[in-house]
Amino acid sequence: MSHAQQWRKDRREFLRDLGLSAAAAPLVLGLPSLGFAASAARKQRLIVMFSPNGIVPPVFWPDEEGEEFSLKPILEPLAPFKDRLLTLKGISNKIRGDGDGHMRGMSCLLTGIELFPGNIQGGSDTPAGWASGISIDQEIKNYFQERTESRTRFGSLEFGVVVPDRADPWTRMVYAGPNQPVAPIDDPYRMFDKLYGSVKDKASLQSVLDDLTEDLKNVRGLVSADDRHLLEEHESLIRQMEQDLAAADQQQEHRVVPDLELGVKNDNDNMPQLSKMQIDLLVSGLTNDMARVATLQFTNSVGNARMRWLDIDEGHHSLSHDPDLNEESQEKLTKINTWFCEQLAYLARRLDETPEPGGEGSMLDNTLIVWTNELGKGNSHTLNDIPFVLVGGGLGFRMGRALEYKRAPHNRLLLAFAHAVGHELETFGNPGHCEDGVLTGLI
Amino acid sequence: MPRFTIAWRRIAPAQCMLSAALLPAVLVASLAANVAADEPDAVESKLSGKEIFAQQCAECHGGHGEGVADAREEPLHGDLPVEDLAIIIHDTMPEGAPEECVDESAEAVAQYIYETFYTAQARAKNQQPRIELSRLTVPQYINSVADLLSDSSRSFEWGEERGLSAEYYNSRNFRRQERKIERTDPQIDFDFGEKSPKADEIQDEEFSMRWEGSLFAHESGDYEFCLKTENGARLWVNDDDRALIDGWVSSGGEVRELRATLPLIGGRAYPIRVDYFKYKDKTASIELEWKPPHKAWEVIPERHLTPREVPSTFVVTTAFPPDDSSVGYERGTSVSRAWHEAATFAAIETANHVVERLDRYADSQADDEDRPRKLREFCYRLAERAFRRPLTDEEKQTFVDDQFEQTETLDLAVKRSVLLILQSPRFLYPQIAAQPEDDYQVATRLALALWDSLPDETLRKAAAQGELKTPEQVTRHAQRLLSDPRAKAKVQAFFHHWLELDEAEEITKDVEAFPGFDDQFISDLRTSLEMFLNEVVWAEQSDYRHLLLADYLFVNDRMAEFYGLQTPDGDGFHKVADDSHDRAGVMTHPLVLSMFAYHKSTSPIHRGVFLTRKVMGRALKPPPEAIQFMEGQFEPHLTMREKVAALTGSDNCQNCHRIINPLGFSLEHFDAVGRFRSEENGKPIDAASDYPSISGEPVRIAGARDVAEQAVASSHAQQGFVEQLFHHVVKQPVYAYGPDRLEKLHASFEQSEFNIQKLLVRIATVSALRGDAQP
Repeated sequence: MSHAQQWRKDRREFLRDLGLSAAAAPLVLGLPSLGFAASAARKQRLIVMFSPNGIVPPVFWPDEEGEEFSLKPILEPLAPFKDRLLTLKGISNKIRGDGDGHMRGMSCLLTGIELFPGNIQGGSDTPAGWASGISIDQEIKNYFQERTESRTRFGSLEFGVVVPDRADPWTRMVYAGPNQPVAPIDDPYRMFDKLYGSVKDKASLQSVLDDLTEDLKNVRGLVSADDRHLLEEHESLIRQMEQDLAAADQQQEHRVVPDLELGVKNDNDNMPQLSKMQIDLLVSGLTNDMARVATLQFTNSVGNARMRWLDIDEGHHSLSHDPDLNEESQEKLTKINTWFCEQLAYLARRLDETPEPGGEGSMLDNTLIVWTNELGKGNSHTLNDIPFVLVGGGLGFRMGRALEYKRAPHNRLLLAFAHAVGHELETFGNPGHCEDGVLTGLI
Repeated sequence: MPRFTIAWRRIAPAQCMLSAALLPAVLVASLAANVAADEPDAVESKLSGKEIFAQQCAECHGGHGEGVADAREEPLHGDLPVEDLAIIIHDTMPEGAPEECVDESAEAVAQYIYETFYTAQARAKNQQPRIELSRLTVPQYINSVADLLSDSSRSFEWGEERGLSAEYYNSRNFRRQERKIERTDPQIDFDFGEKSPKADEIQDEEFSMRWEGSLFAHESGDYEFCLKTENGARLWVNDDDRALIDGWVSSGGEVRELRATLPLIGGRAYPIRVDYFKYKDKTASIELEWKPPHKAWEVIPERHLTPREVPSTFVVTTAFPPDDSSVGYERGTSVSRAWHEAATFAAIETANHVVERLDRYADSQADDEDRPRKLREFCYRLAERAFRRPLTDEEKQTFVDDQFEQTETLDLAVKRSVLLILQSPRFLYPQIAAQPEDDYQVATRLALALWDSLPDETLRKAAAQGELKTPEQVTRHAQRLLSDPRAKAKVQAFFHHWLELDEAEEITKDVEAFPGFDDQFISDLRTSLEMFLNEVVWAEQSDYRHLLLADYLFVNDRMAEFYGLQTPDGDGFHKVADDSHDRAGVMTHPLVLSMFAYHKSTSPIHRGVFLTRKVMGRALKPPPEAIQFMEGQFEPHLTMREKVAALTGSDNCQNCHRIINPLGFSLEHFDAVGRFRSEENGKPIDAASDYPSISGEPVRIAGARDVAEQAVASSHAQQGFVEQLFHHVVKQPVYAYGPDRLEKLHASFEQSEFNIQKLLVRIATVSALRGDAQP
C-alpha cells in the first residue's frame, strides 16, 4: 500500500489551511460562531474504541438482562453513564478462512468479511493478507461525506495509542476498501499537526513578519536606486499577507484548539498521558466538526502493553493466555480491562461535558461510542461473545440495558450502525452472515 | 567613416515599411566591430543619416527606432547586413515614396540606424543594460534549500560501479546466518516462478532479499515509482524513516502494482532500498519500475543505480509559479503574489521538516543539557549558509537570538528562526550583501552560475581566506564546480531549452504509417539524445562543432531496427555511426526531426525555423499573417518541398522564408520520424537550395551536413550559442557585462577550439567577477 502522500501541496490548499482564501469558506462555516445555526438535522457521530486480547467474562458481562442490571467490576467506571449504555453479549465474529484468530478478530472486526490469502503467518492457521472489504466506519464516513449536510473536512479520524510501527492484519482494523488498510495515527503531536498544524504555522508566520519587514527596510540601502522598486514590491506583498492573516484570525477566533502537554514520548510507559492527549484531541476534532466518524485503537490485536502504572509488569497478551484458574493473572487482566474502561469513561465524560455546538444537549447525546475487542476471551481465542459496549445517544438506540443474543453474526450489528445513520444497506461484509438482517432489539 | 560598397543585388523586396524581416537573436560583430561608436558624420552628403532618419523615418519608426503605436509598432531591430538595409531603404522607403531616399542617402541612413540601435551590439553600446537585482529562480530556490540542509560537504562521486548491492536469504526475515548470496544486481526485475532464487541453498517456500544503494536523477521533476510483486515488499527512496511504498502484506496472490510519486532534483543521487520476502505464496516475482519526468515507464536501468550509499536530500515540494522567461531565459527580476505565497509556504514546509528532525540536524539529544546551545548554533550555521557569508552580531541577534528569547519552546524558536532566515531578502536575493564587494559575493555568484545553489564548504573557506580575487583563482574553483553532477544537470537543462525538448512530450505520430513509434520509443529517443549530448559535452574536447557535425547516434536494439542500423550485442544503448545517411549531430537526431514534423509528414517550416534560430543564431519575427499548413489543399502528387514553396511564395512571406526554407529543405532526406529517405511520392528528394548567409552572400547547401558546416564556420552562429549559454548560466543580459563581452567570450571560445566546458568556466568566472576576468 502506498501511504497517503501529500508530497506536493497545492498552493490553494495552503491558502485554505492558513485561512487565506475564499476556499476557506466551508471550513469557516463549520465553526461554532458562524455555522451551527445553519444545520437543521441533528448531527450523528460514531466512535469505535478498540482494546485487545479479549476480556474477563465473569467480571465484564452483567448477570442480568434488560434495564435492571448491575455493572460488573470492569465496567464499573461507566457507572455515571449506566442509563446511557448498552452491553451486547452473544455477538459472534463468524468470519473464517485464512488467518489466525487474532488476525481475523482484528481485520474482520469492522469489515465483516474474509481476509485475502497472503504471506503473513500467525500463530496458527494459514497465512493471510488484508481484509477483502471496507470497514463499517469508512462505509458510514463515505455516506456522510457524500451529503452536504454531514460532510466534514476529514470525514473520519483514525486515532491510535501505542500502535506498533508495522502494517499487518493485526495492527489494522480500518479499511477504506479491499486491500486498503488505513493506518491509525498514534503520535498525538502528529495528530495535532494534522488537525491544527496550519494554526501553528500561521502563528509562527505572524510572529516573524515584523522582523521580516524590518529586515527588508535594512537591506534597502544595499541595492541601487534602480533596483529598490523590487524590494518595495516584496515589502508590499508581505504587508498584504499580514493583513490577510489578521483578517483570517478574526474569522477563526472561536476555534477550540487544545493545549497539549509538551515532550511526551510516544512509548509504552506514557500510555496514560498519550491516551488522555488523544482523547482530548478527538473531542476537540469532533467539537470543531472536522469529522463525524472516529476510531481509537489501543495498541493492536495481540497487543502486549506493559501497564507498569498499574503495577503489572507482564505484557497484556502474555497474561491473556494464562488459564482461568490462575487467579493472579485474571486479577491483572481485570485491572487492565478496567483501565481501558476508564479511558472509555473519560471519553464519554468529555463528550458529556461539552454542549453540542449549535445543537441540543451534550455531544454525547449525539455520539455513539462502541467499545470492542478482537476476541471474546484471551486464553480460548474465541470469536464468540465479542465484547460490544455502546455508550451515548448518537444512533438513537434505546440505552440503559444489558442485551443478550444467541451467537448473532456481528455483521448484523455493523448493518445496524449503518441503518441508524440512515444508510440502509441490504448486507454488509460477507452477505452470508446478514441473512437475518439488521440486528434487532437495539431500538 | 568607413565606406562600404553596396553590391546592388536584388533581394526580395520588403513590403510596406522597413520590416527588415529578421530580429537579432545575436548580433553581428564582424562589421560593427570596427565602426566608430559615435554617430556617423555626414561628410559630404547634404544631410547626415541621423538627419534623414529624423525627417523621413522617425514618424513611423520612432526617434530611436523603438516603434510607434498604430504605425510601425515593432522596434527597428534586426541582424541584416548593413548592405541589405541600404537596399531595402533604397527600394522601399519611405513607404509610398521610395524615390525620396535612394543611393547615398539610403546608405547614410542605413549606416546610421545600423550603428545606433539596429543591432543588439549597437544598443548595448549606446544603452548598456545593467545587472538587475534578482531573486532566486525556482530551480535556484529548490537547490539552495536542498544544499542548505545537506550535511555532506563533499560532492557525490558516482563512481564506476552500477546496479544495487543485493543480499539473498534462505528465510523470510533476513536472518544473518541464512544469508546465501551477496552480489550486485544490475536492476530489480526477477520472476522466480514457483522456484527459489537459488536451488539447493534457498528453499522455494520462503526467502527474502534486500537491495541497497543510490539512485541518480538526471532531471528535476516528479518521479513515479512502481513496485510490482505478488509477494511482500517495501521501497524507500530518499527517506530512511518512511517507506515510499509499503507492500509488505501480500494479499490475494495477484501481482500488485504499487505506485507512488516523489519529486527529485536533477544532478543528485538519492538513497534507495528495497526489502522483499516470499512466504507460502504460490509464485515469486518482483520488478521495480520508474517513470522519470518526460520519459516512459521502464525498469529502473542499471545506469541510474549504484551500490554506493549517499545521505538523503531535502526536496521542497511546494509548487512555485514558473519564472519569467519572456526574454528567452528564466530569470528572477520580478516578484508576484503567487511567487511570494509559494516562497512563504516553502519556508513553512522547510521549517516543519527541520523541526521534525531537529536533533539529527543539530546533532543534539532531547534531554541533552547542551541542547539549547546546540540548537542556537545550528541556527547560526543555517543563517550563515543561507546568507552566504559570516553573520554580523546584529544578524545573529535578529535571526536567531531574538527568536530563542521570545518563545517558550526550543522547537518553536528554531521554527521561527528558520522561517525568518528563508524569507529574508538576504537569502532570497543573493546579490544583496554589505558593501564593498568581497570574496563571499564572488563565491555566491560562482555557485549560482554553475550549480544554481549555495557555495559549498570549500568555496566558503576560499572566500574566508580571500582566495577568490584573481581570474585564475576563480577559474580553478569554476573548474571544480563544473565537475559536480549539479553542474551537469544545469548544462543538461540548457540543452533541453536549446533544443526545445519540452515540446517532445507532444509528439504523436500516425501509428499506421509508423508502427512502433510509441511513447516508449519516444522515451528511447530522448535517452539517446541525452547520451549524445553527454558524450559530446563531457568529452575532454567538449567541442561545440561535434554537436552539429557528429555522424553517430546512440541506439538500442529497438532504435537500431527502426532506423536500419546494426548494433553490437548486449542490452542498452550503443554508439553507432550512420555515415551513409547525411547525419549531422543534433540537427538530424531522430527526436529533433520528429519533434519538428507533422503527424505523418515532415515540416520544413518547423525545421527551418528551428535551424534559423537555434543553430544559425538568427531570430525571426512572428509571421505577418498566420497561415495554416493544410495538407488537403495541395495536389497529392506534390512533394512537401513543392507544397511549402507554394505556400510561402509571396514576397511578404519570403522576407523570412528565403532563409527558413533552404534550411528546412536541407533536412528533407529525413521523414517525419527521422528515417532517411531518398524519394517522396516517387520523386527524388531535392534538399539543395541557395541559403542567404548572415553576410548576405548566397551559399549552396544540399543537405544537413552542409548546414552544419555552414553553422560551425559562422561566427554569428557561434556567438548565438555563446549568448544563449551565457543567459542560461548567468540569468542576466550578456551586455550588462560590457559591450564587447560577447565578442571576448566568442574569441576565447574560438581559441579553445570551441570547448564548451571551457566556455562554461569562462562564463561562470565572468559572472563571478562581474566581468573582470582577463582574456
